[in-house]
Amino acid sequence: MIAAATRLVDQLLGRGEAATTVPPFDGQLKPNQLLETAPVIAEFDAPEDLATDGKTVLIANGTAVLRLDGAASVEVARFDRHITALCCLRDGGLAVALDGRDVQVIGGAFDGKQWYQAAGKPFTAVNAIAQGGDDRTLIVTDGSDAEPYERWCYDLMERGESGRVIELDLSTGVERVVAKGLAYAFGACVAGNEVWVSESWSHRILAINASSRRTVVGHLPAYPSRLSPAAGGGYWLTAFIARTQLVEFVLRETAYRRRMMREIDPRYWIAPRLSSGHTFLEPMQGAHIKTMGILKPWAPPRSYGLVIRLTQEGLPRYSLHSRVDGSHHGVVAAVECSGELFVLAKGCGKILRLQVAALERETLA
Amino acid sequence: MTAPILELRQATKRYAGVPAIENVDFDLRRAEIHALVGENGAGKSTLTKVMAGVVTLSSGTMLIEGREAEPRTPLEARHLGIAMVFQENSLIPTMTVAQNLFLGQEKFYNRLRGIYIAAQQFLQSLNFDVAPTTTVSLLGAAKKQMVEIARAVLHNAKVIIFDEPTASLTPEEKKYFFDLMLDLKRRGVSVIFISHVLEEALQISDRITVLRDGKHVVTDDTARFDRARIVQAMVGRDLSQTLYGKRKQLARPPGQRVLSVQNLRMASFVKNTSLSVFAGQITGVFGLVGAGRTETFKVVSGVMKRDFFHGGEVYLHGRPVRYRVPAPAVRDGIAYVTEDRKIEGFFETMSIARNIYMGLLAKLGRKRPLLSQSEAERVGDKWIKALNIRAIGKDVKVVELSGGNQQKVVIAKSLVQEPDLIIFDEPTRGVDVGAISEIHQLINRLADDGKAVVVISSYLPEIMAISDRILVVRQGKVVEEFSASEATEEKIMYAAIH
Repeated sequence: MIAAATRLVDQLLGRGEAATTVPPFDGQLKPNQLLETAPVIAEFDAPEDLATDGKTVLIANGTAVLRLDGAASVEVARFDRHITALCCLRDGGLAVALDGRDVQVIGGAFDGKQWYQAAGKPFTAVNAIAQGGDDRTLIVTDGSDAEPYERWCYDLMERGESGRVIELDLSTGVERVVAKGLAYAFGACVAGNEVWVSESWSHRILAINASSRRTVVGHLPAYPSRLSPAAGGGYWLTAFIARTQLVEFVLRETAYRRRMMREIDPRYWIAPRLSSGHTFLEPMQGAHIKTMGILKPWAPPRSYGLVIRLTQEGLPRYSLHSRVDGSHHGVVAAVECSGELFVLAKGCGKILRLQVAALERETLA
Repeated sequence: MTAPILELRQATKRYAGVPAIENVDFDLRRAEIHALVGENGAGKSTLTKVMAGVVTLSSGTMLIEGREAEPRTPLEARHLGIAMVFQENSLIPTMTVAQNLFLGQEKFYNRLRGIYIAAQQFLQSLNFDVAPTTTVSLLGAAKKQMVEIARAVLHNAKVIIFDEPTASLTPEEKKYFFDLMLDLKRRGVSVIFISHVLEEALQISDRITVLRDGKHVVTDDTARFDRARIVQAMVGRDLSQTLYGKRKQLARPPGQRVLSVQNLRMASFVKNTSLSVFAGQITGVFGLVGAGRTETFKVVSGVMKRDFFHGGEVYLHGRPVRYRVPAPAVRDGIAYVTEDRKIEGFFETMSIARNIYMGLLAKLGRKRPLLSQSEAERVGDKWIKALNIRAIGKDVKVVELSGGNQQKVVIAKSLVQEPDLIIFDEPTRGVDVGAISEIHQLINRLADDGKAVVVISSYLPEIMAISDRILVVRQGKVVEEFSASEATEEKIMYAAIH
């Protein structure tokens, strides 16, 4: 009763849960053009994820796993379905998620292992795989049990909270749910005795261990996605979209949002996208984002590109951006290999490459 | 060489036997701008108060146009052609600007409309953007200062004394003010100009007099001075490298995000502004007067309230907070060191120790229902030593301290609360160069200790010298952020104005 009254008052006054506020991009998240100006080394039709074995970089593109070799790419494996997550195992094998519903291992000591479900619930939107602290486990994030992988935007608009983190035992095949009820789990990484998980719709990174969970970094101004370890200690965190007050407002207006979802083509929803600017039918046009026909870099973004370098403690050290007037948007994966950072901008289907040492010099000067 | 319009010979003023000025010789020429500089407590204010009839000399003589004079009240001084614009505001807050301007010149029958029209024309002639019908209490510090200046000019004084007139003015207002001083000079008015901003003295004055410890040190043509010579004369030691000389090249890395302000709104002062403050860093906040810097942080610390509807969110250590009064903010570890120390900073008739103790009580609240004199003395002793507050004893009333030491008391009052987030609003306004250096060292020490520190300042060299990151506020909103290494005066000022 009291909670309901509080909610009502909050809605009336625009505070608490009903506040449509967005944290600023400032401090270590201060915008720059480092992602936008990064050299493009390859372009693909349907890139989904990056992985590295420490020597080479692999990319999941549609149904194929490709090895990047300079500007060229060599096919390593092909599957019958779309790959939604990719991970290089320490024993030389590969773990992939297919259509978000099936996790498979090929090559290495555990070749042929396969999982479709955990704790009696089938996988629906497996979007990231990481190897556990030992060589015998995989950590998998299943974004939602309601919407499949490609319908992530529906899950956001329905304010889904059904994401899970699952540990898969490679040797026994046993699966264990590490956490559930997450607002879109999208990316995980092992950090000591904890698992760090991106909870996208809650704009935070959670650290989960056997007995507790804590927020490593919260109130992010973007929707975080995959995590990967950085060579110098710490992690690379990608964020596939930036938050805006308009979208926050729509997320709090349930009736409006449901009608929008019912009646309007999803391409034109007031919702974040991995890329934008393709048609005049998109919302947020005109003077809000353009002056004399030129996109304002600081305008509210419908799509955005962001990679955050986190310290071992989870504090942002610096960040790389592609702003509203850029095109390297929808960044869903970043891996470091041999002193270079490879970034997948899914919005434009491009792989970017940056020198880590030069980045540190530039951003930490 | 023209004969001096005002002259002081062997002027001495003693308070309870202690000389505030001693054997000072001073002369002011006709139609000159004469800068008077010195540390707080050097005797500048006493010297000018003697001229303005606020206090009388203990010994020595004062000559006005060659004739001996001894004004005993400001009214007598005004009749002799001397007007003073005080550092402390002397306007009546409940009256309008026009009423304050014409105060003392009322007729038997006053037509209010006539006063407003005359005031409007007069203010416009000075290029001052102040509405004559506004009640003075509603004006900001800069506009109050403008009214003070206008009032002095209105009285057709032959000598006008300005005590720290530019402390609260924006660069544009300052330019107008300097033009006004030059205009007064052209009209034959002599101006005495007290300022702690040495660049201003060097820029605008014809001659400079330096006082130290109540004694005259040097008077010379401005062309023969540079900043280093003035500073050396003021403090008797070289401070040029410890003040604003060095621009910060290596910023401290940020720690945890302590404060996150998201889309904050407060009437027309704060407009949908967002910012973060990190532990272990000094976040400098620059903006012109009226840009909404102070209001933003007053909302954060509960001194002011945000908008009731959709007023935005403030997160402290990731937890949403909303303070309607300062007490809970103090308890949560937020300290706001006010820009207006005389009004909001301390209880002027209470002792140093008691003032600092009040800060502790504000934090403890109901946990300390009874006052303890011994605890007050202990706390007072500790912080007087820690901040090097110079006073005869801890029982000295704060009003009797110099500006720099008063400011240290205000800071001690906040630091005794052991805050995590300390907001300094114009921490060195009206503070002498020696104390500025000490206050800067203190602020740096706080950041080194991992505290989140915010420094709001209108003085660009200060912001650039002390900040690890700089936020620029314009029209109620943070519009730009610079790291210490990339910031230049031009970039910051451009962001603040355009």
